[in-house]
Amino acid sequence: MKWLELVQVAGATLAAAVTVTVLYALGVRLTAIAGDARTTQPGWVRPLSYVCFALCGVAVLFGLYLIIPYFSK
Amino acid sequence: MVALVITLALFFDFTNGFHDTANAMATPIATGAIKPKTAVALAAVLNLVGAFLSTEVAKTVSGGIIREGSDGIQITPAIIFAGLMGAILWNMITWLKGLPSSSSHALFGGLIGAAIAGIGLHSVNFASVLQKVLLPAVFAPVIAAAVAYVCTRLAYALTSRHDPETGSKLTQKRGGFRTGQIFTSSLVALAHGTNDAQKTMGIITLVLISAGSQEPGSGPQFWVIAACALAIAIGTYSGGWRIIRTMGSGLTDVKPAQGFAAETSTAAAILASSHLGFALSTTHVASGSVIGSGMGRRGTTVRWGTAGKIVTGWLFTLPAAGIVGALTALLVSTGTVGFIIAAVAGTAAVIFMFFASRKSHVGHHNAVEVEEAGQAIRFAKKKAAAVSRTNNSKDGRK
Repeated sequence: MKWLELVQVAGATLAAAVTVTVLYALGVRLTAIAGDARTTQPGWVRPLSYVCFALCGVAVLFGLYLIIPYFSK
Repeated sequence: MVALVITLALFFDFTNGFHDTANAMATPIATGAIKPKTAVALAAVLNLVGAFLSTEVAKTVSGGIIREGSDGIQITPAIIFAGLMGAILWNMITWLKGLPSSSSHALFGGLIGAAIAGIGLHSVNFASVLQKVLLPAVFAPVIAAAVAYVCTRLAYALTSRHDPETGSKLTQKRGGFRTGQIFTSSLVALAHGTNDAQKTMGIITLVLISAGSQEPGSGPQFWVIAACALAIAIGTYSGGWRIIRTMGSGLTDVKPAQGFAAETSTAAAILASSHLGFALSTTHVASGSVIGSGMGRRGTTVRWGTAGKIVTGWLFTLPAAGIVGALTALLVSTGTVGFIIAAVAGTAAVIFMFFASRKSHVGHHNAVEVEEAGQAIRFAKKKAAAVSRTNNSKDGRK
């Protein structure tokens, strides 16, 4: 039986989707905070949101890198 | 004969892309994140690229399901022809009746049915079918739904903003997810290319093996990959006009954050499964994600009746296409006359389908297969809207 492979798929799906969603959501949240007009925010908020988006992109590219057989050979 | 089967397989690939453009690109178009024309072109290109990424699923289809070559069982191009006919005819029937169905499962069903009728029970590798087709078919949508649920919860929890002093809700500012959807839906299109184009590659490879022009157990050749990639890309691109026409009739009630979570889960699930050679239905996984993310949003209840109807449709596809495939195989095995009858009937069906598709009213019920899953979720606040939507789709189906 290939239960192990099934568990692998479940695990990989969960890990990948949660990573991407959390990073992107954090980015969205930080952008929202940085955009607040009423209160002044520390200067690192907006750069940090960019870092989140960038990490999210890196996570996606890393996932694709793992999948494409061309790179793993 | 071989050329005919390859043409038929490529046509099947084309229709696959044609049907599924909407699954990937409907939500970002609906939320206005991306222009329809751009979205369709993007989906086509990504399907093309995706088809080149992996060949694991193709190997499952060509080497795993039917025992070929070395065991002394000879699968002939005629059997594969019968299987493809079964799949195409069943697809046409479900499409005309507006039943939700998976073209991938129709393909497998047709092939298995044709092999059983044409060669015998022993020709099908049931262990491999169970492991690589049936189990993923059951579990992948469940996994996708669970992951989409978690992701939707997380996305909402992380971006919910309250005033620290008064505790009242601030503007949530979740607009960023709209932009994010461009990327996630692109990933879904990419994943669709990797999984669905490979099924056709597997079929063509199987034909080449059965005709003796390729070693049993080897992967698809490069020209096969290229042809399948092109067929699905062209199919995706020509399917675009359906989406553009659909925009007027209003789409799934999906918020950007929710759509983002659902699409991320869909893409992750399909890509992970493709990597391990699981041949699953993109439509099933996307539907699972839509239901899962719907449950993750607050104030929603699942219409289990509708969800049950979708699942029944899924269960029905494999055996039904199998029966059609088996009947075609029996017809073909009677000789040249039977083969010609099957070929003429198949071609007629395809041409009829093409003209019917030009005439028919394209509403969200037949352009977006996942829409069915969207209706399985009831939004408490928008009950009236949901009900009217259900009624619309019922009217459209008459």
